Amino acid sequence: MNKKNLYRIADNWFKNQDWKPFPFQKQAWDAYLQGKNGLLNAPTGSGKTYALWVPIVLDYIREHPNYKTQTHKGVWAIWVTPLRALSVEIKNATQRFVDDIGVPFTVGIRTGDTSKKERAAQNRRLPNLLITTPESLQLLLSSKGYDKKMNSLAAVVTDEWHELLGSKRGVQMELALSRIKTVAPKLRIWGISATIGNLDQAREVLLGPGSESFQNSVLIKAKINKKIRVKSIIPKKMELFPWRGHLGLHLLEEVIPIIKSSKTTLLFTNTRSQCEIWFQRILDKHPELAGEMAMHHGSINKETRKWVENAIREATLKAVVCTSSLDLGVDFAPVETIVQIGGPKGVARFLQRAGRSGHQPGKESVIYFLPTHAMELIEASALQKAVKSQKVEERIPYLNSYDVLVQYLTTLAVSDGFYPKEIYREVTTTFCYRSLTPEQLGWILNFITLGSQSLQAYDEFKKVEIEEDGRYKTNNRGVAMRHRLQIGTIVSDAVLTVKFLKGGYIGSIEEWFISKLKPGDVFTFAGRNLELFRVKNMQVLVKKSKERSSIVPSWMGGRMSLSSEMSQLLREELYAVAELLNSDQHNYSENNGETKKQGKHGLSRELRSLIPIFKRQVKESIVPGPKQLLIETFKTREGYHNVFYPFEGRFVHEAMGSLLAYRISLLSSITFSIAFNDYGFELLSDQELDMQQVLDNELFSSRFVKSDLEKSLNATEMARRKFRDIAVIAGLVFTGFPNKLVKSKHLQSSAQLLFSVFNDYEPDNLLLKQAYTETFEHQLEEGRLQLALQRIEKQTIIWKTCTKPTPFSFPIITDRLREKLSSEKLADRIKRMLLHLEKS
Amino acid sequence: MEITIRDTLFTLHPSGALYWKDQNMVLIADVHLGKISHFRKFGSAVPPLAIKSNFERLNQVVSWFKPARICFLGDLFHSTLNKEWRFFEEWVNDQTAQIILVKGNHDIITPSKFTDLGIQIKEELLINNFLLTHHPAERDGVFTISGHIHPGIKLRGLGKQTLNVPCFHRQPKQLTLPAFGAFTGKFLITPKKGDIIYVTTQNEVLVI
Repeated sequence: MNKKNLYRIADNWFKNQDWKPFPFQKQAWDAYLQGKNGLLNAPTGSGKTYALWVPIVLDYIREHPNYKTQTHKGVWAIWVTPLRALSVEIKNATQRFVDDIGVPFTVGIRTGDTSKKERAAQNRRLPNLLITTPESLQLLLSSKGYDKKMNSLAAVVTDEWHELLGSKRGVQMELALSRIKTVAPKLRIWGISATIGNLDQAREVLLGPGSESFQNSVLIKAKINKKIRVKSIIPKKMELFPWRGHLGLHLLEEVIPIIKSSKTTLLFTNTRSQCEIWFQRILDKHPELAGEMAMHHGSINKETRKWVENAIREATLKAVVCTSSLDLGVDFAPVETIVQIGGPKGVARFLQRAGRSGHQPGKESVIYFLPTHAMELIEASALQKAVKSQKVEERIPYLNSYDVLVQYLTTLAVSDGFYPKEIYREVTTTFCYRSLTPEQLGWILNFITLGSQSLQAYDEFKKVEIEEDGRYKTNNRGVAMRHRLQIGTIVSDAVLTVKFLKGGYIGSIEEWFISKLKPGDVFTFAGRNLELFRVKNMQVLVKKSKERSSIVPSWMGGRMSLSSEMSQLLREELYAVAELLNSDQHNYSENNGETKKQGKHGLSRELRSLIPIFKRQVKESIVPGPKQLLIETFKTREGYHNVFYPFEGRFVHEAMGSLLAYRISLLSSITFSIAFNDYGFELLSDQELDMQQVLDNELFSSRFVKSDLEKSLNATEMARRKFRDIAVIAGLVFTGFPNKLVKSKHLQSSAQLLFSVFNDYEPDNLLLKQAYTETFEHQLEEGRLQLALQRIEKQTIIWKTCTKPTPFSFPIITDRLREKLSSEKLADRIKRMLLHLEKS
Repeated sequence: MEITIRDTLFTLHPSGALYWKDQNMVLIADVHLGKISHFRKFGSAVPPLAIKSNFERLNQVVSWFKPARICFLGDLFHSTLNKEWRFFEEWVNDQTAQIILVKGNHDIITPSKFTDLGIQIKEELLINNFLLTHHPAERDGVFTISGHIHPGIKLRGLGKQTLNVPCFHRQPKQLTLPAFGAFTGKFLITPKKGDIIYVTTQNEVLVI
């Protein structure tokens, strides 16, 4: 069939749906049918599924003239999605197309949720389109004869590639594709990604740098210009001293009219605890909304979440308080309004959330921004710019993740075995392992066959064997079974299920939160007050409680840091203010409030509303400009405050604060407590710090950062924690059988034990080294710290001694979560340590 | 480090061993031999060098104190028989001292395997009002020396540094030894008032 006739099939189908193909869809069809690989940049709800599914089917029709009568044996395409929840939606969309045009294709899902029976059936014969997750794809590679099953595979589509890219799941995909490329010679590889800062790199990582697939590939961008309007909720009364930690509840009443005047509103919070509290408070103050409001976050049980998602789709809910759990996937047409509570910390996340509303064509997306303290209005102002410039964060791919490679090679050994020469060639075509040396591969091969780097007497190590012809293979069934159970790179904290005593599942909760509670304690979860009855067999049994006051669980990862893009935008906003304050010292105040639109000073509405605060700030201090780093010192009852404002995000500030504190401690012995937020950090001490000495000694130097950091922070302890994930991924510790998972406390302790043994006896262990690399690159963001310090080196340091705390310093110095740093002189490390008596 | 308990002199060795001068006896708790091999057998690549280190450290202790008797306070062998037993046999054959094993909860290997090597097996041992057991116990009139707990302590200091180190835990009526084995965990204890903690490091024992 020629191209014209092929396109007629698709065009007719679109016409029957009353749709018109978008230009980007046509582009993708063309490219695919020309045999190209590629990356499609398109947002959710834009018809991205049909951009690729249509040409995959048309290509099949072209190759199989008898397509109507003959069924196809085996898998034609694999669709990989990071979220199990999205698979049903993809299945429905794809099935609908083939059914309508009369191609007898089977569409099947294979994820962790798939029943044993269905999986067995799939093992006999894979569906023509297999929808799966990166983990389940690896599992497929661990089954015998996978190469024959995938032999005629025509396409692998990786959906939401941006989600996978910056994680080890992305590495898993790179490896799987490197294998499938070999076993399926006709393969085309496509990815779908939302807008990220490094789309070109995303394509390179997906296809393999310099590979043939990459040479023969395209990047297609869906130019769907969506109008996004950001409206900040500006408090009527501006506090001059913005406290932190308000959760924004003082502006609750401002939200109610927004909810009431719109069909469906999503309220995004940054943490699950904030979500719980907001939900409670709205209901307390406005009981009339009961029944029309729901809550959605990752720890609520799946049925409830699905119910909420359906209710949103059917427009039966007025408002849903949610977290990032609603960021992805599922398309909700009826949502009219989005409220973002607190700074979203990243441009991409904000745009994604804004895009949740107004899905009808031509409709404008409206997003309200509710600041939890006044300083966040600067963030709001920066976001206005971000929406215009679409300057989005990059997702940084992992490099040399030895743990994932160990897992992958074992996976191949478990199925049909592998030959190192062939695998080395494949693996080094991936982005992650392109610099892998033969020596490093040799190390990993020894690791999985000998469990060490040399043969030991009487050793019973069992994992992978080398057969006579040089094939690496696992023949022990126990090893194979345990490995299959453990495939995956997401190592989560053990979660316990929360259930009512009388039965009824409510959700799941992290072990460490529950471990802090005693039976009888009341906590808020899933919008209910619950009393802990007891914990048994990884189940938390609870009773309903009438008590009002309760503890709200705070979940790990609750505190996010500003991305470097956001930080930069934020600084630019401040610079604009600084410039105005300098150039126009006398006039700016009089116009305040009178100018309706963008003021004549070019300041946004948000910044103008902050003018009283800026005025108070410049009374004793300054608003720093582009060439300035501001340091404020003042004394309060609490002691001597030294506040620094690099505006780089909390993670960088945490590292910089510790670094600086360490360097100061080399000059004189002093004890600090460190507090930090997204704008700056504070070193609080009971003695006065000689700031001149700090400036004279160039303590902000970007030299020797790594070695100083290692000494200032407990790098070993941080690496030890990172090592837990690595140990699990590399199969060093066993996470247990399904339904009988090992407690994370035990997992943690055995991983820690391994870390110590490696440190003592195999300091060159690649997995151990990886733990340190990850600590510095991913946790401490050493790269960003380095750049920030280089920027500071070029700035003039403005040191202001103030008599009172300034507005800028207030959110920092009132932060009660502090880290302590003491440098009292003591002989050696042990002797320096103080006995820590934990309260029992 | 030398300490006196009830007018009796003991030496604390950095390895976690305790030397009882009057009796010319070395006390060692929780070696957990065979544990590494057990892990390796199930596909977890624990460094095999750690196996050797257990024996090397045993030899160091023996050659330092040259005791007449070596008493293991339980959990000498971690698992069922595996090939590490051979190393243990060789080591026992090289010893001139009398070896005693006070049984621990992990010692599931049939006692005859030990007695064949000339090792005495005891449930507990009472010498001059000192009770040697695996599980900690407080009894009237005696001072208990035991293992089982794998005591460790969390120390805090500079920056966010924390350090977990093994320790001897001395209470008014008993002393718990740290685990001797290279691949054994620690249980972080919370000392009470009046307790004394001796931390073991590479080359010395420090009192906290």
